[in-house]
Amino acid sequence: MKLCVLGAGPGGYVAAIKAAQLGAEVTVVEETEVGGTCLNRGCIPTKTLLASTELYNRIKEADRFGIELKAEATASLQKIMERKNKVVQTQVKGIKGLFKSWSVELKNGRGTLLSEREIKVSGADTEERMTFERLIIATGSRPAEIPLFEFDGKKIISSTEALELTELPRSMLIIGAGVIGCEFACIFNALGTEITMVELLPRAVSTEDEEISSVLERELKKKKIKLFTGTKAEKVEIKDDSVHTTLSNGKMIVTEKVLVSIGRALNSHGIGLENAGVEMGQRGEIKVDTRMKTTAENIYAVGDVTGGILLAHVASREGIVAASNIMGEPAEMDYSVVPAAIFTSPEIASVGLREHQARERGIDYTTGHFQFRALGKAHAMGEISGLIKVVADGKTDRILGVHIIGPHASDLVHEAAVAIKAGLRVKEIADTIHAHPTLAEGLMEAAEDVHGEAIHLPKKQ
Amino acid sequence: MNFPDDLKYHKEHTWVRVSGKKATVGITDYAQDQLGDIVYIDLPDVDSEIEKDAEFSEIESTKATSSVIAPVSGTIVEVNEELDESPEIINEDPYGKGWIAVVELSDPSELDDLMDASDYQSYVEEEAK
Repeated sequence: MKLCVLGAGPGGYVAAIKAAQLGAEVTVVEETEVGGTCLNRGCIPTKTLLASTELYNRIKEADRFGIELKAEATASLQKIMERKNKVVQTQVKGIKGLFKSWSVELKNGRGTLLSEREIKVSGADTEERMTFERLIIATGSRPAEIPLFEFDGKKIISSTEALELTELPRSMLIIGAGVIGCEFACIFNALGTEITMVELLPRAVSTEDEEISSVLERELKKKKIKLFTGTKAEKVEIKDDSVHTTLSNGKMIVTEKVLVSIGRALNSHGIGLENAGVEMGQRGEIKVDTRMKTTAENIYAVGDVTGGILLAHVASREGIVAASNIMGEPAEMDYSVVPAAIFTSPEIASVGLREHQARERGIDYTTGHFQFRALGKAHAMGEISGLIKVVADGKTDRILGVHIIGPHASDLVHEAAVAIKAGLRVKEIADTIHAHPTLAEGLMEAAEDVHGEAIHLPKKQ
Repeated sequence: MNFPDDLKYHKEHTWVRVSGKKATVGITDYAQDQLGDIVYIDLPDVDSEIEKDAEFSEIESTKATSSVIAPVSGTIVEVNEELDESPEIINEDPYGKGWIAVVELSDPSELDDLMDASDYQSYVEEEAK
């Protein structure tokens, strides 16, 4: 089987390795660097920066933990970025090493489909054509722009440029308080940038449970991050050394930089889809079935470019499903249990139904809550903010969703993911012994609270 | 437990000190005692409207997060900024330095719904039973 994979992000590179494992002869075409947005401009670089800012925050709190400092700690954005680049490079090498070990060929260049059997690869000064039996399109997405906020890459930037800054901005307006906006707000706020945020929707991280948003909004307020929700940025003008942004509430925000994080645009244009009979939907998303096959018989697509759930780990799973189907091992995508994490401080993680979704679907549901501040471990760690919320089916008692904001939320969510996938009931979590002292006890107590039986909560009035 | 005579009390454990058309509001000694060590208060914005019996602020202590219920309706004209950095002042002096906000009253007749010190004291003693 001669397989070509277009794009080496977390969808494409995983598909390539999986197909090679199953015996395919694989060529990957990548325009920039392996690892895609996730590794080079997203997940990994931001988490590396967060590791620095969390350490910096900890050092600033040293006194509270009984540690005396001889001098004040200072953060060097340049050195933080150098560390980030090193971490990214190590991971890039890792993927290349895996390709080599599984005999996956990597071609550097921009791929354009010429037909349903042939692709053109345009490198810096080379151009070649190659044929394939099967193709997986995994071209991903990029920061969305709208004319009003056209990036100049210097004053008005996207997350991509924000990850390359080496001089700390004094002030920054972030347009869009979704996942990316909130993560960058926490990073730059920790380093000392004065942050203002504006969000068109009524709340921050609007895809999350409403209670999670409200806890996050309070945590942002604690950090002195000013957030305007239900507000539009109407005019953005560069004047001298600063950017003047007029908001729909009449306020004018003057900042050194504006970071636009209003969503992602899909990379489906200019890659020759029309030459191969690959159809797109209204948003430019490549249409796929549950086996990740496009409208062209031998062409599959995975990841952001299919416009589904824009998460690296979903893309990877789609890559595995596509590769399996291509290699004669039938597989289908199941999106019923997709854990997701937002690396704000504190972290957010969720899986399954939000309370408002349960309400909108007319499900008879119950909820349980547990605050981290009621856990000994959280006090020992000095991180007491946040809560765990369980949404359960009122009739069957099955767990429908779990939503966490607080320390290590992104690690804690997976117990809930397994529970939902296995169709467990609230009682089965509550009756499972959880080690003490851990943050995971919070999920057990939140499960107990569904029936008002949490040991470490006072009796409900 | 302290119940100053010059204040009016709301059953959700907030107090009011009236001076002309303005009123200073805060949480009671009983409330701070129940909450334990206060680590954060989400102060309302100046110029925002508050409504009697509705939440106008939120307090986090080391053991709970709790809504602060407005004892009166009106417009916030001043907030105690010092609580931003040192919310523990509420534990130390709930009726004095630990005041939360000053409200311009929109309906002074609402004050008649509130309890005086001795009524509030009996109410708290009943609740504590």
